[in-house]
Amino acid sequence: MTELVSIPGHWDFDYTYFAGEAASRFFAELRNTRVMGATCPDCRRVLVPARSFCDACFQRTTDWVEVGPEGTLETFTIITAAFPGLPEPPIVMAYVTLDGADTALVNLVLGLDLSDIGAAAAGLQRQPRVRVQYGPEPQGRITDFAFVLA
Amino acid sequence: MSEPVAVLGVGQTTYKRRHPESSAADLIWAAAEEALADAGLGIDAVDVIIAGVAPDALAGENCVEKTAIFGTGKPFLRVNTGGVTGSSTAFAGASYVASGRARAALVVSLERMGQASTSQRVFNTIFDPVYEKDFPLTTITMAALRASMLMRVYGYSERDWAEIAARNYRHALRNPLAHLHLEVTPEDVLDSPLLAWPIHRLEACPMSEGACALVLGGRDLAAGRNAAWIQGMASTSDSYAMGDRIRRPEGSLVDLLSLQRSAVRAYADAGVSDPRKEFGVVELYSPFSSAEAMTYPALGFCAPLDGPRFIQEQQEDPSLPVFNPSGGPQAANPVSATAMVRIAECALQVRGLAGDRQVADVRRAVATGQGGATQFSTVCVLGTQTP
Ligand SMILES: [Zn+2]
Repeated sequence: MTELVSIPGHWDFDYTYFAGEAASRFFAELRNTRVMGATCPDCRRVLVPARSFCDACFQRTTDWVEVGPEGTLETFTIITAAFPGLPEPPIVMAYVTLDGADTALVNLVLGLDLSDIGAAAAGLQRQPRVRVQYGPEPQGRITDFAFVLA
Repeated sequence: MSEPVAVLGVGQTTYKRRHPESSAADLIWAAAEEALADAGLGIDAVDVIIAGVAPDALAGENCVEKTAIFGTGKPFLRVNTGGVTGSSTAFAGASYVASGRARAALVVSLERMGQASTSQRVFNTIFDPVYEKDFPLTTITMAALRASMLMRVYGYSERDWAEIAARNYRHALRNPLAHLHLEVTPEDVLDSPLLAWPIHRLEACPMSEGACALVLGGRDLAAGRNAAWIQGMASTSDSYAMGDRIRRPEGSLVDLLSLQRSAVRAYADAGVSDPRKEFGVVELYSPFSSAEAMTYPALGFCAPLDGPRFIQEQQEDPSLPVFNPSGGPQAANPVSATAMVRIAECALQVRGLAGDRQVADVRRAVATGQGGATQFSTVCVLGTQTP
């Protein structure tokens, strides 16, 4: 019987992601603690986070409007297991529709009592109101804010 | 479709965490060799070869299919549409045959993720780098975000998910190719560790690798062969952004609009009007039991609010189709190949070649595929009758 050979491998590449004009403007507004949406001239939806076109209508977005800072938690998960390369659990991640927006955006929910996961989940299933809370030093990144209960 | 298309041959490796005995090329070769032998055809009879592989980083090799491009001198394509790669690859091959550009097509899909030690980290890179990648979005958390919404909107319980998972594991005991052969009760599922509420370890698919291949041909090659006819196939896309679908009036994030639209088109082509009665077998692309439940209304098996009851009905009503007789993706999920495996399993059922997992008298079966946060969905209806 041949002894089977296995060869170690490792991928470690660095990248720079180019956000484009719409997201760059969205991030610039975020540094001013404003969450912005872009409106589709056809379906009139306010798309948040802002982007340059509406994929449903194949239209460029036009008017930019400020949304939030409060909104409704739509759906969530409480991550309870550790995965290599991801932050330490427990973590709450949710989609929230900010007031004035037609779409939901994903971010973390901070400041919840997670001592009883089942109870925390039951509370979040009631779709609580939440608000955007900024960190101390906005970097112009989506991680500049998180959601907290309103 | 102009020329009707049939599955003439099926080849599959076993599915397991790792195949340390095989290179990527060996796995593709094994599936392709078996599919051609099953069809009774040589490589010279094949006019086009199409390979399906999803993210290269799962294998740690770029274009992992490159070392297995055999039968040189033919057109070759590679397909990557995430989780739906396997069925997209099969549909691409079927389109060659349907259009008359190939008498026979060999389609093969490979998952080599056994070479990866941190697959959820790789899966995090499939999300948008601008607005999403900084969050712990993975295949598991993406499913969990929907599962909690399904519970809230349609009244599913964690117990419902556990029942589905236990049935899939039970079916897999009859499938020698499946990755997991576990005797699992719904209680075992509920007692398994919580990964991301509401998803437990035993509701999530395993990380599997392996290869699947099909030989597709038209009417002339099907004559005298044991053929499973593709009676309808449809592929539909949706918006990438999950957040855009949450309040969408025509179908929310848990309504699987892309699958519903694919089903309508594929059923129309196949002449299916009552899916509860007209299918013997259903093979679902559902790596999580909550993902399986989401497909029931989209495929026309029940109204959305009747989903939880439909799980019970499956156990009580023998006139309903058998769901995932192979065990489905919860028992083996070679991601790039999984959607092709669903078609392969339906073809084996229709041809009466499914061994211990054979369901009696399957005249028609339906296979689904879903990928990219269900941005893509496919439905493939296979049957004994030429369309
Ligand atoms: Zn629009």
